[in-house]
Amino acid sequence: MRKQYFAGVDIGSTMTKVVIMDQEVIASVIGATGPEHRKLANRVMEEALAKAGLPFDDITYVVATGYGRINVPFADKQITEISCHAKGVAYFLPEVRTVIDIGGQDSKGIKLKDGRAVDFVMNDKCAAGTGRFLEVTAEGLGVKLEDMGKLALTAKNAVGIANTCTVFATQEVVSKLAEGVALADVIAGLHEAIAARIYSMIGRLKIEREVALTGGGAKNIGLVKALEARLGYKVLVPPEPLLTGAIGAALMGRDIVKEAEEKGTPLVRAERRLTEATFFT
Amino acid sequence: MTEEKKPEERKKRRTATEAASKIGPMVKAAIGGTVQAREEGKPLAYSFICCCYDEIIRAMDVIPVWTENYAGVCGAKRDAQRFLERAEAENFSRSLCTYALCGLGFDAWREELGEMPPEAPWGGQARPDMMLGSGQMLCDPRNKWYQAAQQYMPDVPVYDVGLPWPPYEDDYDYREVQDYYVKYIVAELKGLVQFLEKHTGRKMDWDHLSELVDLTDRTWNLIWETYELRRAVPSVMGTGDAMNTMVPMVFMMATQEAYDFYQELNDELKHKIANKEGEIPDEKYRLIWGGGLPSWFALSDFNYFNSKGAVFPVEVTYRMIEATYNFDMDLSKVTDPLEHIAWRWVKFWTYWYDRARKRPGSHPDVERLIKYIEDYKIDGIVMHEAFSCRSWHVGLIWQLNMLKKVYKDIPSLILESDIVDISSYNEADTKARIDAFIDTLEAVKSR
Repeated sequence: MRKQYFAGVDIGSTMTKVVIMDQEVIASVIGATGPEHRKLANRVMEEALAKAGLPFDDITYVVATGYGRINVPFADKQITEISCHAKGVAYFLPEVRTVIDIGGQDSKGIKLKDGRAVDFVMNDKCAAGTGRFLEVTAEGLGVKLEDMGKLALTAKNAVGIANTCTVFATQEVVSKLAEGVALADVIAGLHEAIAARIYSMIGRLKIEREVALTGGGAKNIGLVKALEARLGYKVLVPPEPLLTGAIGAALMGRDIVKEAEEKGTPLVRAERRLTEATFFT
Repeated sequence: MTEEKKPEERKKRRTATEAASKIGPMVKAAIGGTVQAREEGKPLAYSFICCCYDEIIRAMDVIPVWTENYAGVCGAKRDAQRFLERAEAENFSRSLCTYALCGLGFDAWREELGEMPPEAPWGGQARPDMMLGSGQMLCDPRNKWYQAAQQYMPDVPVYDVGLPWPPYEDDYDYREVQDYYVKYIVAELKGLVQFLEKHTGRKMDWDHLSELVDLTDRTWNLIWETYELRRAVPSVMGTGDAMNTMVPMVFMMATQEAYDFYQELNDELKHKIANKEGEIPDEKYRLIWGGGLPSWFALSDFNYFNSKGAVFPVEVTYRMIEATYNFDMDLSKVTDPLEHIAWRWVKFWTYWYDRARKRPGSHPDVERLIKYIEDYKIDGIVMHEAFSCRSWHVGLIWQLNMLKKVYKDIPSLILESDIVDISSYNEADTKARIDAFIDTLEAVKSR
């Protein structure tokens, strides 16, 4: 029997992620989505195939997810990021009951039961509570985004940031610095503010342990610690928190193929050609 | 410039029933009718829905101008922003009720021009001769909106009719105090009649009022029976349609036209049930619209739910009636028309109290949800948090949490936007949420 490979393509607002799996992840690529995201999926897929050393024809099934999932013309199926994140997290951390995903422009909470999403909340209305909040404030402070988390951990006395609006919070932190507050204390305050926003949103779900943190936010140690302080216990972070959605998508594809084989139903597959999306053109 | 903005009108929503498809022209004709009535010198009154004065104004031949309806029409036609911006320029906060803001912006503009604002949706909102506000627990703009509108129409008198009902407490029986409420409401309604007599120069025809009260009772009962038909599987009429068919319920009550409309709808639904004509061909999920006014500019979202196999056979929003024969009193024995109206009002708002008291920790609104979930075989609940409507929306999340606590965990979706202000709406995000919700419904169903 021919070996089966499954691809998951997760087009987020900030990053595009592709994984190729057989029983495990054999290749993964993460690229910035950027304004040309409609053209990016095929390029990132190409790169992932090269890494895996596979021709595209060898991919049994492709599932696209994320907010740009409709822009993946070579995907066999589109599945929501809620379902794919749930699947990906359950694969790595089956004990998890609540997922907090902090993306570039939205954040969400997912309640899991038996490895599937049974409830969710989303914040897609306001930059506060998303990665964008830290991105904008980091820029305002002249600090590299990737340094923000570590700097937060060096704070001696985090200051409260009153503004929940990203734009006004940026002004507030600048005036705090002008008052002589230490940079690390301001940055720690920002992390506490974003953690508070996320915590109140996720609170609607009745948070159950274990809690996993995914998305770009999970790579920020300051944010992880701030959320743990809010929750009162440690959160779990999957091995590559940016890839859980793409891995979940690939696993979904595996399930779809398995079910079709068991039932003897035909699989509907897109053409195996890496073309650019024409959705917006 | 606000005047130059063109409305972004949307393609029409698909309706499942013939009855619902007739509503648009009916509303347009009604709004046009008020503009014509103004020209003919007939008395017009700015009015709110659910203020239990329908029969009174109809009996006095006063023509209601439903201001919430007009704001909703502006929203549905995606032409409300220029009126909202006008209100904001008049120093009204953008976080107030956007029905009120739209209406106030429109009034300010119309009064400044001395004629309708350019290209006013469906001919515009006619200038009233009086404004009938309402002090009640339903929402605060009901007694502040028209007072604020007097800035632009200082010559137009306002009558604020107080319409309280006994609040729910789990440790007392509201019947202990209900008589006081009825007495108070009757006094308020008498004051309204005097106000109308003074400003129209007409005398109330009490026999005619009694006839209209009886017609309204019969209409309430017919609506209840008609909406109960929607328990059928497959669903024959969804909430998208109900957001149309509510029009005669709230804007045409105490008219034979309203009664006839529901008779026609009743016949249509029975026919569909007999022929197993569902609103969609492959019904997978049955949902309840569990609270919140809809985004009038995005009613097509109901079609999107339909495209995913989801139907809404029931909603709590705009189901502003109960069968009067289900009340714990024989309403037909109350022959004084004003007392009759007052009792109907109190019994409607207290209808779910007894059920709530039987379930520890519950609440009437939660009991209503539970009853509908069971009667209509519901799989999931959808609510809409409209940011500008505080009174109706502030308790939705609480209700949802209570429902899950005292009854059962049920998949739920909270949509976030507004009733009129389209700047609060993101179609892609809304659809992403709906997609994810459908996934959770599927996950729960397949467990």
